[in-house]
Amino acid sequence: MLFNSLSFMVFLVIVLALYYSKLFSWNNKKRMLLLASYIFYGLWNPPLVILLWISTVVDWTAGKKLAIEENQRKRKMWLLLSMIVNLGFLAFFKYGNFLLENFTSCLYAIGVEFQAQPMDIILPMGISFYTFQTMSYTIDMYNRKIEPARTFLDFALYVTFFPQLVAGPIVRAKDLITQFYEEKKASANQFFWGTFLLTIGLFQKIVLADTLLAETSDTVFGSKDVLHSLDAWTGTLAFSGQIFFDFAGYSTCAIGIALMLGIILPDNFKYPYAAIGFSDLWKRWHISLSTWLRDYLYIPLGGNRNGIIRMYVALMLTMLLGGLWHGAAWTFVIWGALHGIYLVVERLLKSKIKIKITAYNGIFLALLTYMLVNVTWVFFRAREFVTAKNMIASMFFMNTEGTKVLQSFDIIKVLVVILILFTSHWIMRNTSMKAVSKKSNPILFGVFWAILVFLIVIAQGSGEQFIYFQF
Amino acid sequence: MNLKLSFFVTLILSLVAIVSWECYWRYQGLEPNIDDNKNLWANQRAKLENFQANTAIFIGSSRILYDIQLDVWETDTNTKPIMLAVQGASPIPVFKDIVEKTNYNGLLVVGVTPGLFFSTLFPEASPIKRPQSLVDYYYNRTYAQRLNHKLSVPLQKHLAFYRDGDESWDSDVDLKTLLNKIQLKERSEPFYPPFNNFEEITLERHMKMPERMITDTAYANTVKEVWKTLLGGDFPPPEREATTNAFVELAKKFKDKGGQLVLVRCPSSGLFKEAESKGFSRDLFWDELVKKADVKSYHYMDYEQFGNLNLPEWSHLSTEDARFFTAELIKIMKEDGISFNSKTN
Repeated sequence: MLFNSLSFMVFLVIVLALYYSKLFSWNNKKRMLLLASYIFYGLWNPPLVILLWISTVVDWTAGKKLAIEENQRKRKMWLLLSMIVNLGFLAFFKYGNFLLENFTSCLYAIGVEFQAQPMDIILPMGISFYTFQTMSYTIDMYNRKIEPARTFLDFALYVTFFPQLVAGPIVRAKDLITQFYEEKKASANQFFWGTFLLTIGLFQKIVLADTLLAETSDTVFGSKDVLHSLDAWTGTLAFSGQIFFDFAGYSTCAIGIALMLGIILPDNFKYPYAAIGFSDLWKRWHISLSTWLRDYLYIPLGGNRNGIIRMYVALMLTMLLGGLWHGAAWTFVIWGALHGIYLVVERLLKSKIKIKITAYNGIFLALLTYMLVNVTWVFFRAREFVTAKNMIASMFFMNTEGTKVLQSFDIIKVLVVILILFTSHWIMRNTSMKAVSKKSNPILFGVFWAILVFLIVIAQGSGEQFIYFQF
Repeated sequence: MNLKLSFFVTLILSLVAIVSWECYWRYQGLEPNIDDNKNLWANQRAKLENFQANTAIFIGSSRILYDIQLDVWETDTNTKPIMLAVQGASPIPVFKDIVEKTNYNGLLVVGVTPGLFFSTLFPEASPIKRPQSLVDYYYNRTYAQRLNHKLSVPLQKHLAFYRDGDESWDSDVDLKTLLNKIQLKERSEPFYPPFNNFEEITLERHMKMPERMITDTAYANTVKEVWKTLLGGDFPPPEREATTNAFVELAKKFKDKGGQLVLVRCPSSGLFKEAESKGFSRDLFWDELVKKADVKSYHYMDYEQFGNLNLPEWSHLSTEDARFFTAELIKIMKEDGISFNSKTN
């Protein structure tokens, strides 16, 4: 089920009505939320709920054993079981065809002719999110960082909680399971703020991403021609905005919906396009994934404890795997590699040059960071290397002879939206929506909110899927 | 901050704005309208899973969609018509689906619009891609998508501004479509003239030409302008042999299953008739297809009563004439020995 759909609106009203009715005890409310979460997922593809159940049962069992087992070898075996099941799901469902293709290519390279039929596998929605979330539980249990979930119901709800099930934020057990232990009820202010966040999230997705930017980005990246520089840049900028609004929109909806239930989810985005440098970017973009990769990949790989070279290797590996997490294609690996290189270069430069950040050089550096991020988006969005190559060539060699695929108004529309996006990120860089809202006049705030609602309604949207569902 | 106050301000202002928006569009002459979208098509396709003995299926493009009036067909033949024609499309992907994925072996009427039927078999070309995407959608649609459609129907029926079209030609008034109508300096391809709505469809995909197309000539002429632009463009040469052979192969399989296949060439006039006569000569295209497929066929030019029909925009019949066309066609088919209900699932 998609947040930007009529069925979800009906679903949410029913869930909220049941949640706040006096019909159920807290345990039964949690059961209701769990059932609602399975319905939320199952309305897309019912049989794939089984994967959620397997992941839940395996990690619940592993977690329980890890809580009591003292034998280190056995503890490792339980952790391994959890990893094999979760990463096995990922490997099969997400990377099956990619691995097969590359295996075939390798055989071909050494002269062995092997024809493999691509497997007809459905990619379960949000599999990368819930497997990472549930794995964090067993890893933390293994490292004795958390207490086991008190009941199976609490754990199952942690794995399946519908607001963040299919596209995050990837929440750690310590931050979410404990919230299920005692009855939760949103205060009036929390409920209204949650409703506002849901509105903002839907506005980002339906109006900004789908209505204003998606078509331009699709036209440019769908073209087989070598494009005019202006078209290539406009398409790339449009995608940078589209993916931010699409993904941040989902996260904002998720946080808002959870808050309407009295559950607090962590922030996933903090105005990333105002980041100064790439370390800063990854503290602002998809925060729940970057902290996951930091805690469960970068630090176990040695982090910065084993010298500079090992640190750079760990950083590159983390970013390469982070790229691959997004999709089973080499273009995503290149995207990750570019981010890894940016991070390495930034650390090298920071060790040599000290710059005091001021408002003037800050905005220049933020703009530079944003432009470099745009280069990586080309690889992220292009389905084939040849498209990415043509786009980069058009962008950097000022190709004025290339094909023009965009009309004047498309270009103006995208540039205006992106200018507003960048400026608002810069202004909001060190604050939050909540802080700004507190200083606002409630009536003016209501007018602003009503404009968002009106634009969502007239944009209508066609229930476009969120980009990150495929990851 | 008092969020409760903000919330109620939002509620009131949003309601006022939405009601005003609805009134504005109604004042502009827009009426609530069901969209001929993928869900409507998929719901009709689903009926084939449990078809009745007296089912008749129609495939083809928009001409058969407009020109066969399903209520007339149902009354005059005592059959249950299922309309699976797709606007701007070749019938081959849908025909292939019916032949290969269903047990249907009743009456199948294929509308032949030469420019689309003989155009191509290339999967990425729009006459093939569009119907194939509907077939794929039917198989892949989720329960959530079905539910969304069910919930959207009452909104489509009661709100003029709420549209749910899939195609660029749908006359939606959503924000994206409205923005796309803004034309500044032409930079890439030439701007198309506005494509005004000329469809009224029911949930059963019974299509009618809106009355305005008959009473308002200037309005009908805007559609003609679109056709002029479209027909003035460059088209690859038709793939006559390939499309004919692909169809004939499917026709043979369908007939082997016991199915009764009928070809119908619906009327055209004006620029369309001219272009079709020049580019798709009857003997080379239609006659050859009929001969190879070896099925009953009906070309509108062969019947005197179809000589003076009203096609307000050259390609589709006015509702009144579509009713006449349907009734007359049934008479002709009956005289020709077409059986309307005989098969069982």
